[in-house]
Amino acid sequence: MTAPAHLLADVVAARAELGWRLQLAFAGLHPDSVRGLLEAHGAAGAVRRVTESGRHSARARQAAAVPAPQRVAQLAGVGIDVVFRGEPGYPPHLEELPDGPDLLFVRGRLPSTDPAVAVVGTRRCSAYGRNLAMAYGRAIAAAGWVLVSGLARGIDGAAHRGTVAAGGVGIGVLGCGLDIAYPREHKVLRDQLIDGGGAIVAEYPPGTPPEAWRFPPRNRIISGLARAVVVVEAAIKGGALITAAAALDQGTSVFATPGDIGRDSAAGTNRLIRDGAHPVLDPADLVAELELILGPARRSHSPQLKWDWAGISPAQLAVSRHIPVAAATSLLAQAEVAGELVRRGERYYPTGGEPAAGR
Amino acid sequence: MFARVTSVALVGVDPRPVQVEVHVTNGGKSVFSIVGLPDTAVREAKERVRAAFRTTGTRFPAGRVVVNLSPADLPKAGSAYDLPIALGLLAAINAKQSGAADVVALGELGLDGTVRPVRGGFGAALVGRDLSRRVVLPTASAADACVLEGSDVVGVATLPEAVAGALGGGAPQTPAPASPPPAGPDIAEVRGQLAARRALEIAAAGGHHMLMSGPPGVGKTMLARCLPGLLPPLSAEAQLEVALAWAAAGLSRFGQAEPPFRSPHHSATGAALIGGGSGVPVPGEVTLAHRGVLFLDELGEFPAPLLAALRQPIEDGRVVVARKGSTVTYPSAIQLIAATNPCPCGFRDDPARSCLCSPGAVDRYRARLSGPLLDRFDLHVGLARVDHQLLAGPPGEPSTAVRARVVDARKRQTSRAALNCELSRVAMDAMAWTDGAATLLDRAVEVHRLSPRGWNRVRRVAVTIADLDASEAITADHVAESLGYRLA
Repeated sequence: MTAPAHLLADVVAARAELGWRLQLAFAGLHPDSVRGLLEAHGAAGAVRRVTESGRHSARARQAAAVPAPQRVAQLAGVGIDVVFRGEPGYPPHLEELPDGPDLLFVRGRLPSTDPAVAVVGTRRCSAYGRNLAMAYGRAIAAAGWVLVSGLARGIDGAAHRGTVAAGGVGIGVLGCGLDIAYPREHKVLRDQLIDGGGAIVAEYPPGTPPEAWRFPPRNRIISGLARAVVVVEAAIKGGALITAAAALDQGTSVFATPGDIGRDSAAGTNRLIRDGAHPVLDPADLVAELELILGPARRSHSPQLKWDWAGISPAQLAVSRHIPVAAATSLLAQAEVAGELVRRGERYYPTGGEPAAGR
Repeated sequence: MFARVTSVALVGVDPRPVQVEVHVTNGGKSVFSIVGLPDTAVREAKERVRAAFRTTGTRFPAGRVVVNLSPADLPKAGSAYDLPIALGLLAAINAKQSGAADVVALGELGLDGTVRPVRGGFGAALVGRDLSRRVVLPTASAADACVLEGSDVVGVATLPEAVAGALGGGAPQTPAPASPPPAGPDIAEVRGQLAARRALEIAAAGGHHMLMSGPPGVGKTMLARCLPGLLPPLSAEAQLEVALAWAAAGLSRFGQAEPPFRSPHHSATGAALIGGGSGVPVPGEVTLAHRGVLFLDELGEFPAPLLAALRQPIEDGRVVVARKGSTVTYPSAIQLIAATNPCPCGFRDDPARSCLCSPGAVDRYRARLSGPLLDRFDLHVGLARVDHQLLAGPPGEPSTAVRARVVDARKRQTSRAALNCELSRVAMDAMAWTDGAATLLDRAVEVHRLSPRGWNRVRRVAVTIADLDASEAITADHVAESLGYRLA
């Protein structure tokens, strides 16, 4: 549990060093630069260096020059809290990373003690991957674990949606300022995460625009917050594999779902498996594997494989069961109303949710 | 000296008789005037008639010639009044030819006295039949017009021939050897796509508007083209409506029992799609598709204002084209079939391929489709790529077999006031829904967050499915299948 926002003022007022660190964070530099400056010059020295050396942009110089109390007031105004490395409230797993962020901006409640699992993948995913990610998110939430992801489009967002649907707790790690609605279509999802007892976090100050170079460093936070990383669908190049690589560096277990050989968006996960990642199959299998690392799940996932995870269309069902297509359509639509399936395009996919009556 | 020839003007697509009255006064200053709301083309008839008289060896009367087109408040346009004016003039100045006025005539005159084809021949034949008069038309127009049973149409190539024809000479025009109507494809040719074929059958049975979505090249257009072959044949009355609508656009379509199929391209203008245009208003594609199918391929590519303009014709079954001082109404009772890709690249919902569109592009693509037009589609069906086994497999049912079921289902609907696609909430409330059906509907409203309108759409389609099933009661199975065609 982080310190309530109104206490940030007291904390910063009491410790001048924290004030300097906050000022430095607002410069919006690359995490490597921040770490280098702090190691070489200390907090106060680093701020002086940024504002006076002329090696940084005018915007960074001006931003770093704004005094800490003013920043604290600004953060309080937008409901954003800060946790500092080495101080109470900072996630213990990040503390262990040599390149962990110096501080984190937090909106919501940062659950620091519950076991967390990261689910990541490509933004350009297939309907199959999107749906599986959502089912994983549900299963992890139902097991009582925290789900960490990047709140990006595609797999990340789908996993978060699964968490929200199952009433679980999730943490979204952003690569931009917490007040920037990026991606725009996930604005509601971010609010749902916070309302559900989770949080969105970033090491970049409010107002930081989403720039491509800021995203790879944030992946180390995703893997750092989690005790296991699940890659659902990923190409060879992309953020998901960076997260997996960071997880391996940090000694965190990596899981990957196998996909078709030759499909771009499965090449990354297949390579991970070849290189030694644990292959995982359906959500029940994932939960069983995770229990070995995280301890028993609050609620085990009932492995009811009534429907194929690959999805099925009415025509396929009709052909395979030798029934009229009208009857197949009727059957699938009833399962959808029952909450077992969800339709995307012409196919129906399992939700991973339990058949619920009247929900 | 006076003569009166009947001609025709179009009000919307309806032909109305127009009296061409000619009055000639001998002596005095030589004057030729046309009154009764003529447009420029009509007014120029003076010069064409005068020259045609001279070249065919008839002396143009000296003195005062007044032509009145009555009813005088109906605007008249085009060159088709040349022939009736000439016939009236001849009847007025030559007692021996006074019988030449007792006809319905339409045609443009060349300066050399030839009679040239014009639009509206079919309407003239209709007016002639109603008035039991002979119809004198340019040869090319006569061929289209004489297919109307009970009409007496004579086709003429020159002004003297027209006079002879009007006086009873000349053989009545016989229809050009009817070319077999170009039939649409048979649904047996569509391999695979079982779900879409079933949805098309339901659409045909209930007259529902249908939206298909799926990647490019899966046969959306082919399926749409099959629909006219699944619909019940047009009644004689409906065939006449279609013929009139087409005749107003200068096209000929009579005696074809298969409902028309029109598929305008998404680059079509508003006037081409809805009707209107500069000068004389012309019916658009929605009117040409009257009593038939309007197919909009790549619905997302149509400009938004055009799609918005389609709503009223679809809803009301008629198009009102407003003009300065007057409005024109065209019929547009159409069944709308539309096709769209799920995103610009088409692979958004594909299980195996990744979509390459930027999310913004997908949003914009979908936003264009959203809104009130989507509300018109009772059925939504997704199409997938067909695997090769199905492509090589045996052909499905032929159109005739499907049509037989559609006709049966429509028979069940005749006892109700309307086709299923027009069923009101109240009418549906009174139907026999089983308890299971009611429970499932309630659950669906909750789970899918169905709007009241969406709820009614699901019920309407369920009624059609029950009709196809020859079932009086609407069961949970019918409702469930209908939910499968819900607009997700």
